[in-house]
Amino acid sequence: MRFAQLCDRVETGGAAAGTLDLAALPGTWVNSNPSTNGIARMLVSEAGGRLALRVYAIGPDALMDWGEAELHLFTSSPSSRVAAGFTCLYDFGFAETRLQGMIMKGLLVLSQFHRFKDESRRADYFVREYFALTHGRF
Amino acid sequence: MPQSFEFKQSGHLNPALTDPSARTPNAAGLLGRWRNTNRETRGIAEIVIEQTGDKFIVGVNGVGADGLIAWPKTEAKALANLEEEAGQRTFALAATFDFGFMRAETHLRVNKGVLVIVEFNTFLDDSGRSDYVNREFFSRAAVERTSPS
Repeated sequence: MRFAQLCDRVETGGAAAGTLDLAALPGTWVNSNPSTNGIARMLVSEAGGRLALRVYAIGPDALMDWGEAELHLFTSSPSSRVAAGFTCLYDFGFAETRLQGMIMKGLLVLSQFHRFKDESRRADYFVREYFALTHGRF
Repeated sequence: MPQSFEFKQSGHLNPALTDPSARTPNAAGLLGRWRNTNRETRGIAEIVIEQTGDKFIVGVNGVGADGLIAWPKTEAKALANLEEEAGQRTFALAATFDFGFMRAETHLRVNKGVLVIVEFNTFLDDSGRSDYVNREFFSRAAVERTSPS
């Protein structure tokens, strides 16, 4: 087994190691910062064992629906089967936004990489924001 | 900022994005040799970030079974970080390391003097390992000085 760091070298059950536990991710995630001018909330939905993300971002007059993107899922270690993070890409034509999310202590930490492809000479930029799952339990 | 710009969130119209300082990476705070704060790590032991002109090169040494494993040196993309560090405009770096059997998409930034790397690792072999995310912390390595003779 090839590895680039010791933590990559783990015992596995082979290629058919079983499906991922997706339970931590589906639901509505709301930005902890009510003054954000970025992403207001995200909806993660499950269908057929796959997860999709729908983003609603702050616009001048109303929320802007980015539509759905399929998620590439990540666990917290090579031997885990519990989903703990994701990546996805939105391509808007004039810009693209890559999202990387990871769950930490119930909070979703979202890193956003915005790259402009138009002639606006805007700087590509990075933002990190925090989202909490609405669960109605407390 | 001209309202004619296309946008998908109000943040895309942030005037700071057209400030020349946001497009001219001054990443001095990221440069240098960084050592993992966790001496027992089984992940990344150290990171070296260098700048040549407007290019940033990231070198990583992973912890191996018998010594360090040098990752392929990789050019990083600098992104303006709209979160400020001590009142200064800062930058984050995004770098993807391709090992053939695995791809590590990483981003690096400094938070209160600590370098944070987040790795999203995807296995491209059929080993059955799960793709995983990991985060590690690094402190700046002390500059080694020679004693005056």
